Amino acid sequence: MNEGAPAGAELLEVRGLSKFFGDVAAVERVSLDLARAETLGVVGESGSGKTTLARCILRAIDPDAGSVRFNSANGWTSLHSLKEKELVPLRREMQMIFQDPFSSLNPRMTVQQILEEPLLIHGERKRGKRVAAVREMLSRVQLGADALTRYPHAFSGGQRQRIGIARALMLRPSLVVCDESVSALDVSVQAQIINLLEDLQAELGLTYLFVAHDLAVVRHICDRVLVMHRGRVVETGTVEDVFERPRQDYTRLLLSAIPSPDPDVPLKPLDRATLNL
Amino acid sequence: MTAPVLAIRDLAVEFKTDTGVTPALSGVSFDVPRGQVTAIVGESGSGKSVTANCVMRLVQPPGRITGGSIRFAPDAGDAFDVVKLADRDPRLYDLRGGHISMVFQEPMTALSPVHDIGGQVAEAILCHRDIGKEAARAEAAQMLERVGLDDMERRMGMYPFEFSGGMRQRVVIAMALVCHPEVLICDEPTTALDVTIQAEILTLIRSLQHELGNSVIFITHDLGVVAQIADHVVVMYQGRVLEIGTVRQVLKQPLHPYTRGLLQAIPGVVPPGERLATIASVVGDADIETPHPLVALADGRQVSLPPAQLRRVARS
Repeated sequence: MNEGAPAGAELLEVRGLSKFFGDVAAVERVSLDLARAETLGVVGESGSGKTTLARCILRAIDPDAGSVRFNSANGWTSLHSLKEKELVPLRREMQMIFQDPFSSLNPRMTVQQILEEPLLIHGERKRGKRVAAVREMLSRVQLGADALTRYPHAFSGGQRQRIGIARALMLRPSLVVCDESVSALDVSVQAQIINLLEDLQAELGLTYLFVAHDLAVVRHICDRVLVMHRGRVVETGTVEDVFERPRQDYTRLLLSAIPSPDPDVPLKPLDRATLNL
Repeated sequence: MTAPVLAIRDLAVEFKTDTGVTPALSGVSFDVPRGQVTAIVGESGSGKSVTANCVMRLVQPPGRITGGSIRFAPDAGDAFDVVKLADRDPRLYDLRGGHISMVFQEPMTALSPVHDIGGQVAEAILCHRDIGKEAARAEAAQMLERVGLDDMERRMGMYPFEFSGGMRQRVVIAMALVCHPEVLICDEPTTALDVTIQAEILTLIRSLQHELGNSVIFITHDLGVVAQIADHVVVMYQGRVLEIGTVRQVLKQPLHPYTRGLLQAIPGVVPPGERLATIASVVGDADIETPHPLVALADGRQVSLPPAQLRRVARS
């Protein structure tokens, strides 16, 4: 399993990743590197392949071509060459936070059960240890211990998303994939969750792959960004470069469509047809 | 200044639940000026959609309108109170889809999956006017062309699943406008769409509104969308109206701490890397939970604030 470290990447190296659904290339020859404790945004319209890319990276689905190498506790590992069983210990280190805090939590489990399940799956047999870990994580996401015996329906959307974040972090992963994790939330709650994600990153040294369609959120939370269009990466760079000095027409099209909250800055979206996109 | 097309006064709605009666709206009052776009802004649970449903009399049990009035003044004919109409009053039938029509968030659920596009848009005409099927289909085709569909011969016979999300929303807009309503209610019509498609739909709604001169009630939680589409803004919170004014007044000089919170919590307002303001951090000690009456100020705007803060705002 142990391999030499690639140049450039500290945590994750993706090369030439492709995934086809029938004749359609959902993801086509995507390459990216992730450094530790950074946040890489993946933006694009629906159907651009951003979620498929994230799922291929975690091997939630199998890519058709390309490689994903991950710097695990045991050194660099090629994820695509592993069998399902061999992947299990690595799942500790890669977790996902989903979009919808309503459908991603089991309504029949208490918060205690939801949060200790990852520990059980990964073989933590001592009940005392599990309970202590659950309590600690709950306070990290700023929920009270009284939440433990309650069910998801008793919580608001923002609180549920905190539970989803806590569950993802129970195993102390190094890589967290956030798939539209703040998209379904109200503005005020969204701001709280974004602040929480940033605090947790600083405290726990997390690396985020942040998939989102909201460009303002990506600009706020990400260090670098990858723009996807029809399964391909059309532009990549630091957030500042891509947002201030976009080089590709598709990126310009996306940016021009963001409505400004200033009524004196009128919306002037570029035209897809004249850009030949 | 002409009379507002809709004047809502002291509107109250309650929902009966297992645990008691929950007020969804209380004391909601505002005008919808004729020929302009009025945005209702608020977070989930603020009552913005319930308010729109009241205008169409679509509040269903366990919900109930418990008080207030909605005075609708049509271009032709006498004004009447929508709240007081009996369920079988023919005016209610004329109102829904005739005088006032609605565009919803999810175009896929607003359209029938088993009827072709042309038939669905034509049906809206047949419901409200005494014309033949062929004439209705011809008018439907004209309207669909106006919202940006091409190749009408083929498109009219297509089904919703054959269209993209943006195209479906265009069809819903055509359906809503085909009877030339005086008021178009848009309930988060772009929330489910990509930002690029959202820009197209906002531009379309705005240009059709200029062309047709109808009034629009636009419901959204997105202040960027409000800034781009609205002439007037109504800010709602927990079933109450907190602030009313022109789009520039409300977005550039918000008077209510909650409105300030909403504005500052948007990513993009603070530089990247800095912590986002939350509504709680902006509102601070100010009490936004206790209801206060809406008071009209000299510059035409209205705000609901505790007396001490109100005096400060009125002086400045």
